[in-house]
Amino acid sequence: MIAQMLMDGLIAGSMIGLGAIGITLTYSILRFANFAHGELVSWAAYFALSVSTALGTALPGLSASLGPFSFGWSLPLGLIAAMALTGLLALFADTLLFARLRARGASTIILVMAGFGAALTLRSLLEFIFTSKPMYFTSALQIARPLFAGARATPDQLLGLGLAVALVAAVHLILTRTAAGRAMRAVSENQALAGLAGIDVAKTIRLVWLFGASLAAVAGVMAGLLVQIRPYMGHDLLLPLFAAAILGGIGSVPGAMIAGLIVGLAEAACVNFIGAEWRAAVSFFILVAILLLRPQGLFGKAGA
Amino acid sequence: MSEAPALATRGLVAGYERDLPIVRGIDLTIGKGELVAILGPNGAGKSTYVKAIAGTVPCFGGAIMLDGKDITAMPLHQRISAGLAFVPQTENIFASLSIGENLQLAADVLPKALRAARLEKMWAMFPDLASRPALRAGQLSGGQRQMLAVARALIVEPQVLILDEPSAGLSPKIVSSVFAMLQSINRSGVTILLVEQNVKAALAIADRGVILVEGQLRHEGNAAQLATDPLLAELYLGAQPEKASA
Ligand SMILES: Nc1ncnc2c1ncn2[C@@H]1O[C@H](COP(=O)(O)OP(=O)(O)O)[C@@H](O)[C@H]1O
Ligand SMILES: [Mg+2]
Repeated sequence: MIAQMLMDGLIAGSMIGLGAIGITLTYSILRFANFAHGELVSWAAYFALSVSTALGTALPGLSASLGPFSFGWSLPLGLIAAMALTGLLALFADTLLFARLRARGASTIILVMAGFGAALTLRSLLEFIFTSKPMYFTSALQIARPLFAGARATPDQLLGLGLAVALVAAVHLILTRTAAGRAMRAVSENQALAGLAGIDVAKTIRLVWLFGASLAAVAGVMAGLLVQIRPYMGHDLLLPLFAAAILGGIGSVPGAMIAGLIVGLAEAACVNFIGAEWRAAVSFFILVAILLLRPQGLFGKAGA
Repeated sequence: MSEAPALATRGLVAGYERDLPIVRGIDLTIGKGELVAILGPNGAGKSTYVKAIAGTVPCFGGAIMLDGKDITAMPLHQRISAGLAFVPQTENIFASLSIGENLQLAADVLPKALRAARLEKMWAMFPDLASRPALRAGQLSGGQRQMLAVARALIVEPQVLILDEPSAGLSPKIVSSVFAMLQSINRSGVTILLVEQNVKAALAIADRGVILVEGQLRHEGNAAQLATDPLLAELYLGAQPEKASA
């Protein structure tokens, strides 16, 4: 029972962690809480669904199940397309909305409100195009396999968990070992000085949108695969995502992942010990507690 | 002179709000290899002037020429590749990054083939920094921060180096080593524009000094002559008293 609770918590948490990395990056570099990030998650799931369905229809071989998993090649290909398309969507929103506001020197609250507006628009568009009926990547049913101490997980779930861990490591390496990563961290600390160090700040900001959106895309496809695809899926994840980003310390990639796992585990424990109806309150509780007790987060720098 | 000056501003107007310019029409020409000191009381607009040249403060009028090219409308990072480097007075290093990352990110804008050699050159020039590249820059002392900021600016081998009060807040001993370093950088061929409150020390290494008052050039002259000019004493009377020795 406890082992199963841990397993469920880790799986949900790795999904939250992936989304939270996108939030923490855009927050620390663009300097505002982008409430439309949840909609990037939802759009990514629908992008992947559309592409993988189209691929499966055109080339039926692509939807034949891959090994133990519930999906065929059409889904990973759909994911790659979704990462690119979600990145473009984020760039489009930036060019149309956020970049113009930044150029005018708009205050943070204006950017946050613009994000709210963008979220609402993007979500309504999804409902309009796809209706609010839940959709699924595959209709194949997966049997959860016994793992340890009575805990069970499906191969899809384990793949998601592994993918999340691999992506965190990759993002961490990109940020610390590559020129693009150094530029992002420099822009996040001091935009003017980054420019003086020869960094193209506008280009770096576009890169951050692409990066954050691709991670949102992975989270969205994972959520769609493990739960279901709905226009509200990203919106419902928003509170856990922000709770994890802030708990981990804004700007910290490993922090966001670890905090995502903590939020996931706390939700699972809540469902187990208190009741499923309280699940949504867990993130809210964590968010308020961390803001009151340690606003810089677990891994953040004080005063940052 | 047949060749273009290293740096020149023509009627430069700049500031934080268009209807309240701080820099009000500055004409200044700096020849190649010169070391020019910008002096003047607090609030005169010295920092605003050099920030406008570097591109972190908007220009509302006039022009900035770097080696004969008009850079007035150029974005920040392009001015750097055009040969300009600027060390601001404060927040001139990335405190959350390591010493090595501070230099590496500045080197990243260079062609790949040059990067390693330039890094080596900076490590050789600043052995204090070379001994602990992994240290977070935020943990450095004031003097070491200044060294790192200068190294970061020099790594691209700029033609013109602009510094805003590099000696502010440093102990007298460190101040003299900073000035000695600036002099040797200048002798290696880099044109330097230096904003300083430390008037005597600045004029001791400068070729020329200019005095800025209320956003305009009040006076300019040969460094040795300026050092004994009564106007200087008058301007600083009641402002920051001079205590450093040259
Ligand atoms: N960020 C800013 N926003 C608005 N006004 C500023 C800003 N920085 C400086 N000023 C004003 O510009 C004037 C000149 O300041 P500054 O260029 O820093 O002078 P200096 O470097 O000669 O001491 C001062 O009146 C100062 O109040
Ligand atoms: Mg100043």
